[in-house]
Amino acid sequence: MTDKTKAPKVERRQVKYASRTPTRIWQEEPTADNPYLPARCRCHGYDLFELMAKRRFADVLFLLFNGELPTADQADLLEALMIACINPGPRHPATRAAMNAGVGKTYAVHILPIALSVMGGQHLGGGEVEETMRFLRRSLRRDAAACAQELLAEAKRPAEGDWHIAPGFGSRFGGIDPLPNQMAGLFHQQPASGAALAWGAAFAEALAPHNLGWLLPGVAAAVLCDLGFHPRAGSGLFQIFTAPGLLAHGLELANKPITAMPFLDKEHYVIDEQARNRRK
Amino acid sequence: MSSMNKRATAENRFDFWEKRRGRIFSRRGGWIIGEAIYNCGYSMMDDLVGKASFFQVLVLNVTGRLPERRLADWLEAVYICMSWPDARIWCNQIGSLAGTMRASCVAAVCAGVQATDSPLYGVAPLRAGTHFIVEALALKKQGLTAEDIVERQCRRPGSKPTIVGYARPVATGDERVVALERVTAELGYERGEHLSLAFDIDAVLHERYGERMNIVGYVTGFMSDLGFSVEEICRIFTTVVNSGVHACYAEAAEQPPESFFPLRCEDIDYQGHPPRPVPDPDRGKEP
Repeated sequence: MTDKTKAPKVERRQVKYASRTPTRIWQEEPTADNPYLPARCRCHGYDLFELMAKRRFADVLFLLFNGELPTADQADLLEALMIACINPGPRHPATRAAMNAGVGKTYAVHILPIALSVMGGQHLGGGEVEETMRFLRRSLRRDAAACAQELLAEAKRPAEGDWHIAPGFGSRFGGIDPLPNQMAGLFHQQPASGAALAWGAAFAEALAPHNLGWLLPGVAAAVLCDLGFHPRAGSGLFQIFTAPGLLAHGLELANKPITAMPFLDKEHYVIDEQARNRRK
Repeated sequence: MSSMNKRATAENRFDFWEKRRGRIFSRRGGWIIGEAIYNCGYSMMDDLVGKASFFQVLVLNVTGRLPERRLADWLEAVYICMSWPDARIWCNQIGSLAGTMRASCVAAVCAGVQATDSPLYGVAPLRAGTHFIVEALALKKQGLTAEDIVERQCRRPGSKPTIVGYARPVATGDERVVALERVTAELGYERGEHLSLAFDIDAVLHERYGERMNIVGYVTGFMSDLGFSVEEICRIFTTVVNSGVHACYAEAAEQPPESFFPLRCEDIDYQGHPPRPVPDPDRGKEP
């Protein structure tokens, strides 16, 4: 160690930190006699109680992230997406994480965070939604079919498992996942559908002969792009949309015995010989 | 295509999944009830418990290789360096906030650890830091000097370089490097070529920009010298802030609920839209 590194001078940087945390989203007005309790809350200027009286959940969700209320067409599209994603199904790894927590009698309050952590994955999870939104934003000016051909020529199909040729597009269990493709078609017909869904449809069409198509994160990403959401919001929104199904499946197992799910016997839990050979 | 061929093709398509369906295959190990719990060729109860330290077994679980004891001691020192009982640190404050909300300790520590999955601090910079020092050494072997390497990190000529592993967000200098360097020497480790280059880069940055190597620069240089991969380094340090979050959680959980760092309404700086009436939904649709 040099003399210089022996005693580095550790000093606080001359950086000004805010004295109050800023927000453009939410305003709380205190009561007259307690500065800690809000008498009134506003979301981007709209009174919460007025929103409760006049608007549906999808409207206020849209408002939170975009700063303005959606049109009815936009709210319809967002709500349709929320329903499409509401349950990834009992075989999805995130749902199975919730089920493992449930059957293991993990406190109910942890089931959702556990499942959502898994749902944050880069493969078919929130991480892939965000990546797809960035991919779509980069690609929208290009010809979708040409882009697909280029990727097909350049990218190499993995020797095993599925192939996501681009974020949000690829195979699932070796084939085209029919439901996301059906959903994309439906959303594409909605009035609030825009450039991302159209581009994705053309891209998926070009991929179809290669047994590749829309994946659910891709569909969610295209809808969110068309509704004006930022890619950074995409991962978390996808987690929100899938949360009800994850929680429901976890809770369904929570009051069942631990024997309600498989615990593999030794014939089905296969330990490689190298792991069993004792090292001395 | 004949129907038999079609069936064969379909079967091939699913082969990959069918082989795995209903089974779990492990190269790492598992519990054979009544026989042993195997871990990478060791029987955990016979070969590891009481014989290897927690950090040795952590590295075994991450990499499949059981390291020597002194490395485990060194890793433990890093974990201590990275876990402070300071509730201003972002991950730690999450522990405090969980404590004041009476979340469980498990939830608090998991949340605090998860917060360090950030490019700004915690675990994620280890990835960028390792990439940097590995690439920097390759450049050095091509004939570049530490000065050249630093210069390449400047966005434009004359600007200050931004290098993960050097400089810190809140302070200048890093006392943890000195502490770890002491531990490294006490454990008898020689400085390898990655860490030596890291110190050369530190010297250039110090002289030209007043910035110093931080703990990420030190740890990634040291671990790269020992041949650990980027993924292995990130995985070994996944829970590195855990005990600092514990401290902050415990302190807040032992105080009355919602008493940690309370905010008045006016303590938030609202910068958004002024009050406005909520329009009725368009097209006359009812919510």
